[in-house]
Amino acid sequence: MILLTCPNCGERNVAEFRFGGECKKRPANPEESASDAAWVDYLYLKENKLGMQQEWWYHRAGCGRWFIAERHTNTQVVEKTYFWESSQ
Amino acid sequence: MSIKTKDYATHVAGRLPQHPSHQIDRSKLIEFKFNGRTYPAYAGDTIASALWAAGVKMLGRSFKYHRPRGAFAFTSGDSNTLVRVNDEPNVRASVKRVEPEMIVTSQNTWPDLDADIMSLTSLGSRLMPVGFYYKTFIRPKALWPTYEKVLRQAAGLGYVTPDIPNTYFDKKYEFADVLVIGGGPAGMSAALSAAEAGASVLLLEENPYLGGHLAYEHPVVETDNGPIATYELADQLARRVEAHSKIQVELDTYAFGIYDHLWVGAVRDDTRLLKIRTKSMVVANGVFERPLIFENSDLPGVVLGSAAQRLMHLYGVKPGQRAVVLSANDDGLQVALDLHAAGVKLAVVTDLRSEPDSTLVDQLQAVGVKVQSGHTVTEARGSKAVSGAIIARLAEDGLPVSESLEFVRCDLLVTSTGWIPATGLLYQAKAKLAYDEYRAETRPVELPPRVHAAGRVAGTHSIQAELLEGEMAGLNAAAEVGFGGGAPEALSQQVSSLKAAEPVRTSPLIAIPGGKHRFISFDEDVSIKDLNDAVAEGYRSMELLKRYSTLSMGPSQGKYESAATMALCAEANGQTIAETGTTTSRPPYNPVPLGVLAGRVMEPVKYTPMHHWHLENGAVMMNAGLWKRPEHYGDPAKEVLTTRNGLGLIDVSTLGKLQLRGQDVPALLDRLYTNKWANLSVGRARYGVICNEEGIVSNDGVAARLAEDTWYVTGTTGGAVALYEEIEWYLQSGWNYQVHLVNMTDSYAAMNLTGPRARAALQPLTDIDLSNEAFPYMGARQGKIAGVPAIVLRIGFTGELGYEIHVPAGYGLYLWETLVDAGRKFNITPFGVEAQRIMRLEKGHFIVGQDTDGLTDPLMANLAWVVKMDKPEFVGKPSLVRIQQQGVTQKLVGYRMIDPSVIPEEANQIVRPNPDWPIGLEIIGRVTSARYSPTLQQSIGLCWLPADQSELGTNFTVRVREELYPGQVVSLPFYDPQGEKLRS
Repeated sequence: MILLTCPNCGERNVAEFRFGGECKKRPANPEESASDAAWVDYLYLKENKLGMQQEWWYHRAGCGRWFIAERHTNTQVVEKTYFWESSQ
Repeated sequence: MSIKTKDYATHVAGRLPQHPSHQIDRSKLIEFKFNGRTYPAYAGDTIASALWAAGVKMLGRSFKYHRPRGAFAFTSGDSNTLVRVNDEPNVRASVKRVEPEMIVTSQNTWPDLDADIMSLTSLGSRLMPVGFYYKTFIRPKALWPTYEKVLRQAAGLGYVTPDIPNTYFDKKYEFADVLVIGGGPAGMSAALSAAEAGASVLLLEENPYLGGHLAYEHPVVETDNGPIATYELADQLARRVEAHSKIQVELDTYAFGIYDHLWVGAVRDDTRLLKIRTKSMVVANGVFERPLIFENSDLPGVVLGSAAQRLMHLYGVKPGQRAVVLSANDDGLQVALDLHAAGVKLAVVTDLRSEPDSTLVDQLQAVGVKVQSGHTVTEARGSKAVSGAIIARLAEDGLPVSESLEFVRCDLLVTSTGWIPATGLLYQAKAKLAYDEYRAETRPVELPPRVHAAGRVAGTHSIQAELLEGEMAGLNAAAEVGFGGGAPEALSQQVSSLKAAEPVRTSPLIAIPGGKHRFISFDEDVSIKDLNDAVAEGYRSMELLKRYSTLSMGPSQGKYESAATMALCAEANGQTIAETGTTTSRPPYNPVPLGVLAGRVMEPVKYTPMHHWHLENGAVMMNAGLWKRPEHYGDPAKEVLTTRNGLGLIDVSTLGKLQLRGQDVPALLDRLYTNKWANLSVGRARYGVICNEEGIVSNDGVAARLAEDTWYVTGTTGGAVALYEEIEWYLQSGWNYQVHLVNMTDSYAAMNLTGPRARAALQPLTDIDLSNEAFPYMGARQGKIAGVPAIVLRIGFTGELGYEIHVPAGYGLYLWETLVDAGRKFNITPFGVEAQRIMRLEKGHFIVGQDTDGLTDPLMANLAWVVKMDKPEFVGKPSLVRIQQQGVTQKLVGYRMIDPSVIPEEANQIVRPNPDWPIGLEIIGRVTSARYSPTLQQSIGLCWLPADQSELGTNFTVRVREELYPGQVVSLPFYDPQGEKLRS
């Protein structure tokens, strides 16, 4: 049961959140047939990395905001959490 | 119940004189039954200690060979003391305290413990080598049902009675600055120093008393203030701990798992689950004493030194009349002195060491006890309990000299040859463990931040050092989380030098050679021969060896056998123990009752505001996700006919409802749905479909434009939450729209008034003009109905003239009752989900999740008309473009069964003959919805067929309950194809 810091509400038990998957970069021109492989990769393939992963979380039992966490998939160290806007 | 005089006399004769260290209360005499006979016990006795006092040492039969077994440790790791207590199987007799009227029976024995027929399996041991279950009972396959019956009888330990009433279990969240696991000298010391530094401390102790090993070990220890009895020292510390305002003590509580971010699971009293979040922790959960393995060392009456001490000093039980003690350390010699002081005749004390500590040997010899250094026990003799031991001298090479074998009579055989730090919890806390060759113990060598170890689990045995190490750990743990300055350098150095000066207490000797019954695992009856055979078969690594041989996989999870397994595996492989490594320790570290994990049985349920009205009016309720909905009110077919001929009312409050406001809503909807929204005028509603990026249908429903910038979106009950979260994700991750979204699902009630008489019934209640010209099909209006502010959508899931009315939930019941009242003269009927399912099916409407699944896109589901590929962008478009290019391979179509009395079941397969398939039938499609239509008096439904076999008029065969029936593809909708009723 890891602790996650919601950028809005603060540190909470992970049970309050819903995991939203790895952050994936959406291909720029998905409809072009030249990008078939990139589109399939985006839809179906996960990097499933061992190491620091950027991932989505939704504060379901709290403020209802989506945010990104950078978590090490082995040591469970959560380096930071932030709203998507602040990464732009 | 009455106690036989003989049992009572034995019980008393088996007791020692009262002593302050005893945990039993002699003023409270209890009676309990074991295997039908009544026995006495004192309050505080465990089942095992009470039975031992009454002369009963055998508690059960072992798993595989049904060998007689009893307690050898008197701890929670005692493998073979699983008994049935009242209705509960697999209770550990070594730790379960006796309660009045308890009914205890042994397990895994037939017909009874004494005359267990299955012990004959020991004769067949050659047919049951290690891993035999992977090699036997395989052929012939036809005998599998027979094998199953035999194995079910033979395997397993306890049995469950399914009809016992639920016991109460609960859960509690606990928070601490410093968590201390273990209430022995190190743990108590850590708790006190952390609390003194200002931290709030939670101390967990698995026994019903604090003290740890001080509570039962040698009576006197030297301190700076002179000699003190250890139980008194334990008492002093315990009183200080219990009195401290910053220490919360939980007795009868064992920690079973350490998880990420210092989340700890613990169980109190076998009834309460503690979920603990701590900022730092001190693990001081001690050691297990290590059994020496020799021929028949599994006989009842062969016990560990600490077990004998527990019997004497906790329970006041005389462990035996005549004892042989085998020692390899000072602890064992001390046990011998304790036994002598308790009046047990010591036949001989053998010590593996050729030159053991002289003070204790001298003390023993001074009281007339024979001590043989450089000797060992090679075998225990006895049938159901130990009756003697074979002693031998050890040669220079450490092997027993066969010419020196000597039989010594005894009824108690005590071994004290070493210790196993209980490092499982530390392993879970991500500590690094290493095997110390010199001390023959695996200990923690590197700890992660905020995790500390102290006491015997860290390899520190002497009491003075334990206390100081505990103090140091407590100070450091508290400092790490902001309390105090941590342990002073002088203290850390003192602890280090004391630890370095500790004598070796564990012999590297694991087993005495010779004999066929040398068991490593008492749980699973795995012998040394089995281990060597497994390694020879190629299962050389610890992980494989464990799984193939089942070593450490029994009820005690290897507490007393892992150390031996590692050493023997290393030896068999010609490696060092450090090279061999350990297996992974996983929670639970202690057995956890399933009931504790289940907790109180609570199933949250969501009710609509009209719930009780439904119940009072004969509704049969069903589950729709977390919601309760009426399935029907007695006769769904009648509900259908009454509604189609007159008037019906259904509660649809569970639908997903979202309010969207803002100038960008049309653009958002255009991008979210497959169809177009920007051109929807105020006062109009439209059906739409939402896909995911894969182009799969995820939700559908009607959305209405109530005002220029106010929209009301409805969706499926099951998909409501997901839809809201998904739209929020888009809005918060880059869709740059000025839109305000509110989830109204739970705050609005909704009901659908439908049937030819709907307008007539509703108009008198509202000044919204309901005429067909003013409020046509697919319109949306706002206004008052019976004085209540309402949103009204004129839509047609059921195919009749209908008004779906949404009101704030607080008005739901009032409006419902008002409509029922107003509809009475039109013979209104409430109708439930089943009638609605029939009516929507008659109109050919699909249901997301029923007729579609995780692979259904709108193009195959008859919804090409709602997919506007000329839009620049919408969710799912890139996938749908590709699907469209590839062409659709299956289609959702309407069908009618030729025989109207045949109603297929949903998911029945559509087949055609094909000899290449099993049973000669190829599956080409499936039925997803099927009902008898009372309106059309036909058996109708929706099904999937291959695209090239889905033309109107196609005949097909459906397999219903193993029979084949013909059906035909027909056009949709089945009822009112022109939609005249809808638009009336």
